[in-house]
Amino acid sequence: MRVAHVVNVLMGGVFHAAILFLVAAGLQVVFGVQKIFNLACGSFYALGAYVGVWAVQLFVQGGGPPAFFIVPLVLGGLLAGLIGIVVERGLLRFIYDRDETFQLLLTFAVVLMLEDLIRMTWGTAPTSTAGLYLIYGQVRLLGAAIPTYNLIVIGASLGIAIGIGWLLTRTAFGRVIRAAAENREMAEALGVDMRFVYVRVFTLGCTLGTLGGALVIPSTAAMSEMGVELIVEAFAVVVIGGLGSMRGALAGALVVGLLRAVAIALYPALEMLLIYLIVIAVLVLRPRGLFGKAATA
Amino acid sequence: MILEARDVRQLYGDFCALDGVSLAVEPGQVVSIIGPNGAGKSTLINVLTGLLRPTQGAVRFKGRDIRGIGPVRLAQLGLARSFQLVQIFPDLTVRETLQAAVVSRLGRGRRFLASLATDREVARDAERVAELFGLAGHLASRARTLPQGDKKLLDVASAFALRPEAILLDEPTSGVSTRDKTAVMEMLVRASRGVGIETILLVEHDMDIVFAYSDRIVALQQGRVLADTTPEGLRRNEALVAAVVGRLPGTGAFREPAP
Amino acid sequence: MTRAAAGPLAAVLVVAVAFPHVAPAYHVTLMLPFMAYGIALLGLNLLFGYTGLVSFGHALFLGIGAYTGAFLTTHSKIRSLEVILVVAMLAAAIVAAPVGALCVRYVKIYFGMLTLAFGMLFYTFVLKFYHLTGGDEGMPFVRPTLLGLPLASLSKTAYLIGPFYYYSLALLVLAAVVMWRIVHSPFGLCLRTVRDNPLKAESLGVSVPRYRWYAFLTSAVYAAAGGVLLATPTGNVDPTLAYWTHSGNLVFMTLLGGFASFFGPILGAFVFIYLQDTVMSVFPYWRLVFGVILAALVIFAPTGLAGLIARPAGSSRR
Repeated sequence: MRVAHVVNVLMGGVFHAAILFLVAAGLQVVFGVQKIFNLACGSFYALGAYVGVWAVQLFVQGGGPPAFFIVPLVLGGLLAGLIGIVVERGLLRFIYDRDETFQLLLTFAVVLMLEDLIRMTWGTAPTSTAGLYLIYGQVRLLGAAIPTYNLIVIGASLGIAIGIGWLLTRTAFGRVIRAAAENREMAEALGVDMRFVYVRVFTLGCTLGTLGGALVIPSTAAMSEMGVELIVEAFAVVVIGGLGSMRGALAGALVVGLLRAVAIALYPALEMLLIYLIVIAVLVLRPRGLFGKAATA
Repeated sequence: MILEARDVRQLYGDFCALDGVSLAVEPGQVVSIIGPNGAGKSTLINVLTGLLRPTQGAVRFKGRDIRGIGPVRLAQLGLARSFQLVQIFPDLTVRETLQAAVVSRLGRGRRFLASLATDREVARDAERVAELFGLAGHLASRARTLPQGDKKLLDVASAFALRPEAILLDEPTSGVSTRDKTAVMEMLVRASRGVGIETILLVEHDMDIVFAYSDRIVALQQGRVLADTTPEGLRRNEALVAAVVGRLPGTGAFREPAP
Repeated sequence: MTRAAAGPLAAVLVVAVAFPHVAPAYHVTLMLPFMAYGIALLGLNLLFGYTGLVSFGHALFLGIGAYTGAFLTTHSKIRSLEVILVVAMLAAAIVAAPVGALCVRYVKIYFGMLTLAFGMLFYTFVLKFYHLTGGDEGMPFVRPTLLGLPLASLSKTAYLIGPFYYYSLALLVLAAVVMWRIVHSPFGLCLRTVRDNPLKAESLGVSVPRYRWYAFLTSAVYAAAGGVLLATPTGNVDPTLAYWTHSGNLVFMTLLGGFASFFGPILGAFVFIYLQDTVMSVFPYWRLVFGVILAALVIFAPTGLAGLIARPAGSSRR
């Protein structure tokens, strides 16, 4: 097997992992603090993708220099994340005291709503930014040609990972988040306004997802099924990495991203099958994943 | 000996919750386990009721090794328990709660096509137990609508409905006002006779109750058995009384030392 | 069965029996997926309402039922719906046994996630191994025979709104009667103890994982029967039957009708099917409407329509 081919496959896996990390990080931060498993994270990802494409198209049609397309792309992704405020304030906040099942079902309702809202706004035909990302050229790595854009995204994702780590450990808000995740009642007793925390945490989680969707768009196309398909991968990432853990999101994303890339290269039919088997194995053998806290049984 | 624990040690990492606890319960006895919070009572209860497998030592019920066998097997063997924090089935009626216990006892839990309503044996037994606990008037009420005291009674009554040979009552009078405690205990004693329970393990904080109803008292402190004797034996040993109880009888109600 | 309920129930049955003779063919064919879902949901609610476990992968068993039928009718000479049903239910039980054994050791969110994973595992398997299963185009499900009767001369519509309709109705009634017995049996009582307080249930000698497993098995078998009936009218099975959103819809239907009542899920299936049809005819974005309905249900009326009917003054918390 040629080294270049291997590098290509692996770098593809890392790129996919970078995107997965963003979405999974969004899932983790929401689960960690609000204990809600957000089935709609995939839908936010899809939304980010569509808004990103739309923003880029506006930009380019408006005469913006194609080399800067990444700016409207990222801005579009971030803008789309604001929907988190609407969802949290409009829906989620009514059910924080309910059973987990109902919270899950409410996020499923959001999935349904977003799926059709996206269809309504952008139709069902896939849309993309075409070959725009190639404008950044390619980098040669061990004989393989890696699009520079991909490296930018990987770098950005890493940067965001570090940023989140800094946010959680070095800022006051981060401390509040971690306290609320450990013990909500205690945090409230200490004067933390949970509504304030919840809407920001949820919006943060949402934005990470929309950003991931926006960033992935240049190399693929935005399709209406993106949302419901991604949730299963994202869910695999957080199970393998451990629910509620940021490090878990990183580790899980790498595992899933690389495994998928390798599986597609070697035996395409196995692709997601392998992932699900690993998810099941993890849930059975080590329910808390690589970095999660104690399991529930 | 119907229930015995021999040299039971329970370690949680470096922390030693039980340090060589031994106790033996003869059939027909009421044995009380007392001790301040943190003495290891909860751990001992979990070991005795098969929830926890001790790090070391033997636990036997009717001669069988019951370490960590779990509450289901233990209930089937004939040892039941009630809970310190009231445990009920919120959406089941009093009748259904008791029937569930009887169904379990009779091994009819897998009859998935039989009609519960027409099973007279189950119905009658449930009603009998309800009467013993003064719950006959509430048979149709959902458990979550009962006043707290009745919920507690239901918790105990459903354990009694298993007609176990031995039962562990975990603070059965906690939450009950002092005035009513004796009434509750009298009811429990009568009910156990009515249902055929011979042996009772009582975990209690109220010393009046403990001294009035126990055949033997086992005092735990810091994971060790400080005393295992009759109420008289305990009363006579002043040093022991001071350490365990805090004050002598006759000078007012017994109080336990602060934890 | 209370006197109060028996009357309306009898009336509903009479209407159901008379329906094909009075209603246009289109509406009659709409009843078919409703009845199929009704059977599947009776099973799902045994797991959800009576045992307290929410499965996000139940479409797995719908899929098993449907694909069993497709396999039998395509690759063998078997056309008898009775045989197909029995084989499908057996297949579901065989799959549910190990899957259930694994899943019932976990609760709430982990149970939901595990079942979702298994459902998607089946979906992916069926999708990827297209040599066996026809991939995303699916497999044909040839028209089965009913009770060996000579119906081949009937047109597809006549078959569906006639003998197949009554067959489905009879099956639904049978499934409901059996489930009624199950729910009101000593076994049903034990399930409810497991739902209400697993700790206490175990202290009374009821093995929580064991009973959850029984419930899981039963619900799987019911779902497979529903899956067979669901696939017959379309004459084709495809992987989307097992997709996780289909499982989500099953839970939605159950919640819509009311999981705390015996007939709630059937009501939910009925309302869902008809509402979907009505909405789709005026507005292609039925998912948006349904998403709003589901959100409203979860927030304001978690006990569903049955809960609203029984207790009009506000929603009760479960």
